[in-house]
Amino acid sequence: MAESGVLPTRAILCEVREVTHEFTLPNGRPLRVLENISLTIHSGEVVALLGPSGCGKSTLLRILAGLIRPTHGLTLYHDQALQGLNPGAAIVFQSFALYPWLTVRENVRVVLTAAGLAARAAEEKAERAIRRVGLSGFEGTYPRELSGGMKQRVGMARALSVDPEILFLDEPFSQVDALTAESLRAEIIDLWAAAHGHPASVLMVSHDIAEVVYMADRIVILGANPGCVRTIVENHLPRPRDYRSPEFLHLVDRLHDIITGHELPDQPPPVEPGSITYEPLPPVESAEIVGLLEYLDARRGKEELFRIASDTHREFGHVLNIVEAAELLNFVDTPRRMVVLDTEGQNFLKATPEARKAIWCEQLLKLRLFREAQAILQKEPDHTLDRDHVLEMIVLHMPQENYETIFRTLVRWARFGNLFNYDEATERLMLPLESTP
Amino acid sequence: MADLPAWRIIWEETKARFARVRLLGWPDVLIMVALGGLLAGVLDLGQEWTGPHRPGADIELSPWALLHYTFYSLARGMLAYAISLGFTLVYGYWAASDRRAERILIPLLDILQSIPVLGFLPGVLLALESLFPSSNLGVELASVVMIFTGQAWNMTFSFYHSLRTIPTDQLEVATIFRFSWWQRLKWVQLPFATLGLVWNSMMSMAGGWFFLMISESFRLGDEDFRLPGIGSYMSVAVEQGRVDAMLWALGAMVLMIVALDQLLWRPVVVWAQKFRVEEGGSVAEMESWFLTWLRRAQLVRALRRWWRHRLLRRGNGPRTALLTPRANPAPPRTEGTSFVGLLGLLLLLGLLSYGCWQLVVLLQDVTLAEWGETALAAGGTLGRVLLSTALGTLWALPAGLAVGLSPRLSRLLQPVIQVLASFPAPMLFPLLIAALRWGGISLNWGSILLMLLGTQWYILFNVIAGAMAIPADLREAATGYRLSRWQRFRVLYLPAVFPYLVTGWVTAAGGAWNASIVAEYVTFKGEALQAWGLGAQINQAAEHARFPLLAASVLVMAVVVVAFNRLVWRRFYHLAEQRFSLSK
Repeated sequence: MAESGVLPTRAILCEVREVTHEFTLPNGRPLRVLENISLTIHSGEVVALLGPSGCGKSTLLRILAGLIRPTHGLTLYHDQALQGLNPGAAIVFQSFALYPWLTVRENVRVVLTAAGLAARAAEEKAERAIRRVGLSGFEGTYPRELSGGMKQRVGMARALSVDPEILFLDEPFSQVDALTAESLRAEIIDLWAAAHGHPASVLMVSHDIAEVVYMADRIVILGANPGCVRTIVENHLPRPRDYRSPEFLHLVDRLHDIITGHELPDQPPPVEPGSITYEPLPPVESAEIVGLLEYLDARRGKEELFRIASDTHREFGHVLNIVEAAELLNFVDTPRRMVVLDTEGQNFLKATPEARKAIWCEQLLKLRLFREAQAILQKEPDHTLDRDHVLEMIVLHMPQENYETIFRTLVRWARFGNLFNYDEATERLMLPLESTP
Repeated sequence: MADLPAWRIIWEETKARFARVRLLGWPDVLIMVALGGLLAGVLDLGQEWTGPHRPGADIELSPWALLHYTFYSLARGMLAYAISLGFTLVYGYWAASDRRAERILIPLLDILQSIPVLGFLPGVLLALESLFPSSNLGVELASVVMIFTGQAWNMTFSFYHSLRTIPTDQLEVATIFRFSWWQRLKWVQLPFATLGLVWNSMMSMAGGWFFLMISESFRLGDEDFRLPGIGSYMSVAVEQGRVDAMLWALGAMVLMIVALDQLLWRPVVVWAQKFRVEEGGSVAEMESWFLTWLRRAQLVRALRRWWRHRLLRRGNGPRTALLTPRANPAPPRTEGTSFVGLLGLLLLLGLLSYGCWQLVVLLQDVTLAEWGETALAAGGTLGRVLLSTALGTLWALPAGLAVGLSPRLSRLLQPVIQVLASFPAPMLFPLLIAALRWGGISLNWGSILLMLLGTQWYILFNVIAGAMAIPADLREAATGYRLSRWQRFRVLYLPAVFPYLVTGWVTAAGGAWNASIVAEYVTFKGEALQAWGLGAQINQAAEHARFPLLAASVLVMAVVVVAFNRLVWRRFYHLAEQRFSLSK
């Protein structure tokens, strides 16, 4: 029986095989966003793609939907290679993507007309889809008059109206308030369970761990830079799921461990003063790093990673970046999923603003990128360094990284410690005045 | 029942019928009258246009004849606008959807924009005259095309720009739900572009009227062309020094502009509000008395009912659709060029190379001395353009700030300024020339004022828009810290409106270049006054049918304008975006 859990062999609906995808950066260089990804979606399951920002999960969703053709690899639908769009897919967008000049009814009706339905049939079907998501009475309103949650209901009605075989949800609740999101999650599961094959499967993209444990049968954990499948976790919890049941909490915990284990290994490669590797700089502000240290200090020097994320209302991927950055600068340590303030971090917090800058610079100069830049700046007669020169250094040593982002972070961190300055107009780095010999 | 006269029976029956269908009400009667008038007008126009070839019409200076002329001018303007709209839709769509064509079409548009009206005149006129040798149609169409060249370009740029800035997710919806290109155009692209297109249409109409006088009465070689219209009326009035007729013409022009604003643009702007993209309903609701009134008409209501009914009925055909599984229709996005696109591109390239070849042949007759003279004249006009832009900034910046920062003032003055700005400045030139002569100022300097008259509005409009967009918190901070008026100007107002000011400068300078051909060469009471500059040279070359010199002058002007845009204005834009953008 189908209710008894996941059957071992189920028809494969949709699949990617060894997919690698590259974007072309403005200067023509390729940036690899996905690497060697293989993934199958079976009939009758809810699959979630979970990962930090920059892991290419939305790109993967668009590849499966046929909106993007991958640079390498194959996309299959019912065992047939996709030529163009996935014929069974409909997408619910993060930004709702409703047409502001069409009413709720028209927004749904146009996709049915585009699908070739005659006007009266489209009208009736749109009406039914709108009723299905609980929006009857709002048919004649324009999207700008609706709340975020109601807009997303229109997005759902639009997607469901074409009877898709797979429903793609691209971070559907991240722009909806928390309580509304809660009810939408339950409703989507109900709709899917009652749908008799339309949709048969749901593929969602998310960065919220509790959300995917609540919704998904299989959770695909992606790593970033470039995006790759770290592991796939099966979720056999019976529905309806209870957020506070021990099994639920246990699975959330397990996912926490898997993610921190991958993203913050307990033995990070030691950063020595003479290290030869270039360290990619996580794209965070210096103020966020200092904020993390202050936060930890106010909690006796340690806190759990996911607790930090929920306390600060930040996406855990971003909190992860902040923690990585702090670890890179030797301010914190990360045993398992705890974040612990180091002695260096404590010294930093105790120091006066001036002394803080000194400690900050000292830590920056342990990173090779800053050291090299500093060396060149001191050697040059006018103590300036062209932006393009630095970009080339980054591209040469960290070809996988987005050099623009790294450069921006470099400038921000360096400015904070007054290590060097940057002139936007001339696009040159320079030593600050007082330190020029 | 008996003995009722026949007319009475008919009368009663008619009354009963009207009562049944409820076709009563003033709006309906007026709409019928207007439609009838329009029909009569079109018939009249047809007669005039297909009438025997008569390039130099005799213009009567009676106010009654002016009514007639106003209608003719209006018809030319509207026809030119219709052509502009068609051109915009095709050209903009093509440029936005075909990467390869885009690389030619957009720079070409930039060049077309910098060519003054008279630069198009000889080619267009000769071609159309030879096409319709025996009727007025050729000359009339040439006039329409000249008005068109004053209207089309900025609309096209706006449409192209809109198409290129549609949010990705909205396009993805169209792709994933398999909109055909037509559905994509009518549900996504056109709605997204409508608002920008409407504003630019209003500007374009004003741009078209600007050259009305020159588009309706011009001299090419020894032939004098004069078409019945307000522009010709005005030039005849000026020639004969009839002040009363000049005033009548000015009045008619104002009346036409106000009527167009109230009966056409206002309703369209109000209607277009439904295509607003930004969220939130805080934007003040716009109103149009005419649109409200029109919507009350039974006739319009019946039409709308019929249309909705037709849409639904059309759907009852036997078409059915299987949604899943479905075969793949069109691929998501055609990256390459379609066959039609390629053909069009080849045709365009052929035309362009032919045009270039013709130009080269023509330019061989230009002597070195003439080239030198042209370059010098270009320098003179450049100086005037910059001076007029600077002068415009001097008064429009403070005035624009004053209006834009005060909600009361902007509500009161915006409509007035709009009408003032759409008024074609060249029609005021004769009055100004009289004043200049009285003051003993030569046209060399006076033409700067004439240019200013036409282009100051662009600066004013943009500054007003910029001032209105200054966030309230920044203004509150300035008040809270007791910044003096001068400090406030330097620290807040000037930087905040700078991006808008740059836009104003670019448009004003472009307008001033075009205006130079009417500002540097003026006929007043039968006597030709001219300044030393490129505009005067173009005007003279056209009048004496010296086509090689005309081509050289137009070419130099286009080169200077495009180069100046690239080298100077673009830097200002960059600066504005980098340092003074409030959106970052």
